[in-house]
Amino acid sequence: MFLVYLVIWAFTLLAGASAVWALAWAVQTGQFRDFRAGAASIFDEGEPVGRVTDAFPGEGKHP
Amino acid sequence: MTPAVAQPLPEGLPGDRLSRIQIDRSCRQTVVWYMVSAVAWLLAGSLLALLASIKMHTPGFLADADWLTFGRVRPAHLSTMIYGWGSMAGVGVLLWLQARLSRVRLPLPLLLPVTVVIWNLAVLYGTVRILQGASTGIEWLEFPVEVLAFIGFCMAVIIVASVLMFVRRQVKHTYVSQWYLFGAVLWFPFLYILGVVLSEAGDVRGVAKAAANWWFAHNVLGLWFTPIGLATAYYMIPKVIGRPVHSYHLSLLGFWTLAIFYNWAGTHHLIGGPLPAWLVTVGIVGSMMMFIPVITVAVNHHLTMAGNFHHLRTSPTLRFVVVAAMSYTVVSFQGSLTALRAVNEVSHFTHYTIAHAHLGVYAFFTMMMFGAAYYILPRLMNTEWHSARWIRVHFWATSLGMALYWLGLTWAGWRQGEMMNDPNIPFLAIVEYTKPWLHSRSLAGVLMTIGHVSFAWLVWNLVRQRGAALIGPTLLKRRKSA
Repeated sequence: MFLVYLVIWAFTLLAGASAVWALAWAVQTGQFRDFRAGAASIFDEGEPVGRVTDAFPGEGKHP
Repeated sequence: MTPAVAQPLPEGLPGDRLSRIQIDRSCRQTVVWYMVSAVAWLLAGSLLALLASIKMHTPGFLADADWLTFGRVRPAHLSTMIYGWGSMAGVGVLLWLQARLSRVRLPLPLLLPVTVVIWNLAVLYGTVRILQGASTGIEWLEFPVEVLAFIGFCMAVIIVASVLMFVRRQVKHTYVSQWYLFGAVLWFPFLYILGVVLSEAGDVRGVAKAAANWWFAHNVLGLWFTPIGLATAYYMIPKVIGRPVHSYHLSLLGFWTLAIFYNWAGTHHLIGGPLPAWLVTVGIVGSMMMFIPVITVAVNHHLTMAGNFHHLRTSPTLRFVVVAAMSYTVVSFQGSLTALRAVNEVSHFTHYTIAHAHLGVYAFFTMMMFGAAYYILPRLMNTEWHSARWIRVHFWATSLGMALYWLGLTWAGWRQGEMMNDPNIPFLAIVEYTKPWLHSRSLAGVLMTIGHVSFAWLVWNLVRQRGAALIGPTLLKRRKSA
């Protein structure tokens, strides 16, 4: 029984602590600052905003 | 399959495009193997599902062989779908997304393909043991305990790969999908280990065991499949239509509220059970709080899509992903409302719950993985899908099948619950009432299986590179031999 409690509490504390740590890290490193740039971070020069990147095979208007 | 580095890259492409191709190629071996294995398990799981479904209205069907009895086929269906199809497709998509979002090559090129083999053997062994009658009898954890060691090892490697990619990342910003993926990859082993320990430790018995069981089972959907599914939606929708997420701060709010609230909801599976009332109430409150992340996600995806719905006609990825995202909203609303005691009084122990579970794991998660596969696999194999017609067959067969499944069983289940609460109706009359709807379920299963076979045929041809060559992420060029 002691081992079961140990596993439960160890995991619970670990999971909780990691969440708090992640939140603190995110605030400190400015992850919650520039939302516009954050949302655009998946685009680049090769696939910029405005480019559609998927179509049925043989039916797309590929540039 | 040739190693990723051995292939010369096409010349004359801009630098960032080159690196995207390199990233995709570094994922090829591991991710394609994960996806192909997942599709194989999807077919096996569909067969087991059909057997189980037919047995519901025709109990004598194949009932002579003990390994084909309902009590074995049904958990075998669930386990192959969850650990074979869902988890393996999920891991494939997760690794590719993390490599792309961190803009680094997929690390551990030798170890990660080995995890595919181990994971497959673990699921195969577990499924055979269930069919032999050695199931643990605990829902969602029917595999024998030793399977934990193998899947646990694979997950450990996947965690290391995720951390390595994050540490080496070339992008300063952590995109919302990465939050979800890191959540999934760290939460799942935690859940799985604790789920097995609590159900196998002799000290945890009776209602405590049931509570642990449903805490685990609900969280496999909530903290493993859901974050992977939402991470996919947050990447695929903006990427396909070429428009950033409408409200980025809502997307982050959605992640953190999901992280805080989802893991409380499990005990709503035990409403009316002999648990301490507060424990069930905690689950109900957790389910209600889930309205916050669900509404933020639904509003956000809808507003991102607004004005772009015409792309549904032309993009297979978007079709599946948008249907999946809409299903997420529906299944979550339905789930929160079903957690209310007044609703649960009717719906509990009926086919309504089965319909709800499939709306979550199938209409949301599975459709999301289909959508992701349509985007990812051609880029990894450098080949286009060979047939638009088969993609359409896949989409319509699975969508119509799922709609028929959900509507039929939700309606029948609700009526079934009302009838069971009426002491004047004999039980056999209720069984007779549900029969036509069980037939409609089998028909829905046949439709979905037709979709799965079309998908498997497409993937098979893609892996054999029977399609136009795809040079660069968006350039189509006819292969000379094709």
